[in-house]
Amino acid sequence: MSTNQRRRQWVTGYAFVAPAVALFLVMGLYTIGYSFTLSFAKWNGFTEHWQWVGLDNYLDLLFSDPRRAPEVHNAAGHTAVTMVAVPLGTVVVALPLAVLLNSIRRLRAVLRSIFFLPYVTTGIAVYYAWRYVLEPDGAINLMLRSLGLGSLSRPQGFLADPATALPTLLVIMIWGSVPIAMLLYLSGLQAIDPQIVEAAQVDGAGAVRTLRHITWPLLVPITAAVVLLGMRDTMQGFQTFLLMTNGGPGGHTDVLGLRTYHLAFFQSLSPTLGLASALGWLILLAALALTVLNARLLRAQR
Amino acid sequence: MRRATAGEAAGRRARQRLTVGRAIAYLALAFYAAISLYPFAWMVSGAFKSRLEILAGGHLIPRDPTWTTLAQTWNRLNFFDYFLNSVKVTGLTVLGVVAIYSLASYAFAVLDFPGRRFLHRFFIALLFVPGITVLLPLVLLENELGILGTHQGLILPFVNGTAPLSVLLLTNAFRTVPRELRDAARVDGATEARIFWGVYLPLNRPILITIAVLTAVPTWNEYVLSRVSLNDESRYTLPLALEALASENVPQYHEIMAGSLILVIPVIVLFFALQRYFLSGLAGAIKE
Repeated sequence: MSTNQRRRQWVTGYAFVAPAVALFLVMGLYTIGYSFTLSFAKWNGFTEHWQWVGLDNYLDLLFSDPRRAPEVHNAAGHTAVTMVAVPLGTVVVALPLAVLLNSIRRLRAVLRSIFFLPYVTTGIAVYYAWRYVLEPDGAINLMLRSLGLGSLSRPQGFLADPATALPTLLVIMIWGSVPIAMLLYLSGLQAIDPQIVEAAQVDGAGAVRTLRHITWPLLVPITAAVVLLGMRDTMQGFQTFLLMTNGGPGGHTDVLGLRTYHLAFFQSLSPTLGLASALGWLILLAALALTVLNARLLRAQR
Repeated sequence: MRRATAGEAAGRRARQRLTVGRAIAYLALAFYAAISLYPFAWMVSGAFKSRLEILAGGHLIPRDPTWTTLAQTWNRLNFFDYFLNSVKVTGLTVLGVVAIYSLASYAFAVLDFPGRRFLHRFFIALLFVPGITVLLPLVLLENELGILGTHQGLILPFVNGTAPLSVLLLTNAFRTVPRELRDAARVDGATEARIFWGVYLPLNRPILITIAVLTAVPTWNEYVLSRVSLNDESRYTLPLALEALASENVPQYHEIMAGSLILVIPVIVLFFALQRYFLSGLAGAIKE
C-alpha cells in the first residue's frame, strides 16, 4: 500500500470513530474528570465557589466522620454480600436450567421464551408487581399460610421486615439476571460437538463425569463472563434497591450506589456533592481493583 | 439368543431411566417456568380486577375480569403521551447506538490507523466506570448545556453508556467477516463507506439486532437518570408516569398493575418479534 493510500485509510478510520469519540469526550471524559476534581472539594451545588478540602471527603467516608463512616460501612457490607450472592446464585440457577433445557426437545423454544421473560420485563413495572405479591396480605404470604407454612409468612410483609428485606431483594435480582446467563449457557452447550460427548460415553463416562470433564471446561469462559458482569452490575446498580425499599427498613438494604445517589441528590442545601463524588470514586476504584484481579485470575488459569 | 435378550432388557431399563429422567427434567423446568411467570401473572391478574375485587385480594384468576381498569388507567393518565415519549427516547437511543458504534467498530475491526488498538481497548475498559460515579457531573453538565430535562439530555448519555458492550460485540462480529470480501469489493472500486453499508452491515444483521434489543430493554425501563433530570411532566417517560401513578395517596394496586402491564407489553412484543435474530446474534457472540 502506498503512503498516500495509507494516509487515506487513516483519515477514513478517524472519520469512522469520530462520532463515538466526540460523544465520549463530552458525556464521558468531562464527567469523569469533573467528579474526580469535585471529590476533593465541598460544595452544595449553589454557591459560587468550591471549598477545597483535600482528601477529607475520602477520610470522612472511610472512617473519620462519626455519622457517615458507619453508614458507608453498613452499605459496603450489603454491597459485598450482593456482589457475591447474586452472581453465585445466577450461575447456580442458570447452569442447571440450561443443561435441562438442552436435554429436551419438545417445548424447548416455548420454555426458553418463558425463562427469558424476567429480563424483558425487569425494571420499575415488575418491581411494583413484586411489591404487590410481597405485601403483608400479598400473594406470597397467603400462599404460605394456605400451604400450612404460616410460620414462614411475614406479617409485616417481606420488604418491611429487617430479617427478610435483603434476602428477598437478592432473590429478585437473581431472578432478573438468570435469563441472560441461561441463554449464554444454552448457546455454549449447543456449540459443544456432540461427537466428543458420544466418544466419552462410549469410553464409559457417566453423565456426571461427562459434565465435569467435557462440558464444564467449555463453559468456564461463559461462567467467567457471567460472574464478572454480575459483579459489575451489582457493584454499580442500585435501581432495585431504590425502587423496592429505598434502603429501608432502617438501612437494612442500603448499598453504596444508593448512598451515593442520596448524597448527590437528596441533601438540599448541605454541601455533600464532594462527598458524593468521593464515594463514586471509591466505587470506581473498587471496580478497577476487581477487574485487575479478575484478569490476573483468568490469565493464571490458562 | 440369550445375549440378545439381555441386551434388550438393558436397553429397556436404560429407556425407562431415560423416561423417568426426562419426566424429572420437565417437572423442574415447569417449576422454574412458574417462578419466571410469577410476578407477571399477578400483574396481569391485578390489571383485570376491579377496585373492589383487588381489595378482596388473594385469588390469581379474577372472578369478574374487567377491561375498565386498563382503559381508565390509560385515559386518566394520558398514558398515550408518555408512551410516545418512551418510544421516542428508546427509538432514538437504539438508532444512535447502532449507527455510532457500528461505524466505530468497523474502523476497529478492519481499518488501520495510529491509535486504533489503544482506542478500542479504552472503549471496552469504560465498562468498569460506574454510572453512579458520573451521574452527578452529568446532571451539572447538562444544566450548563441547557439540555437538562429534555429528551436529548437522556438520549446522549444513554447512547454513550452502551459504548463498551456495543464496541466489544460489534468489533468481534466484524472481525469474523472474511477479509477477501472486503478486498474483492475494493478491487471493484467500492469505497470504505460502501463496503461498510453494503457488505458488513447486512452480513451482521443478527448481532445488530441483538445490540438493539440489549439497548432497547434497559432504555425503555430506565428510571434513575430520568427521575433526577425530567421535571416537566409532559416529557415524562412511562416509568416516571407509572411512578407518579403509584405515589398518588394510597397505592391502588389494580391501577398500578394496569400501568405496569401497559409499560411491559411493548417490550414483550418487540422481543418476541425479534427473538430469532436476537438468539442467533447472542450465539454468534459466544463462539468468539
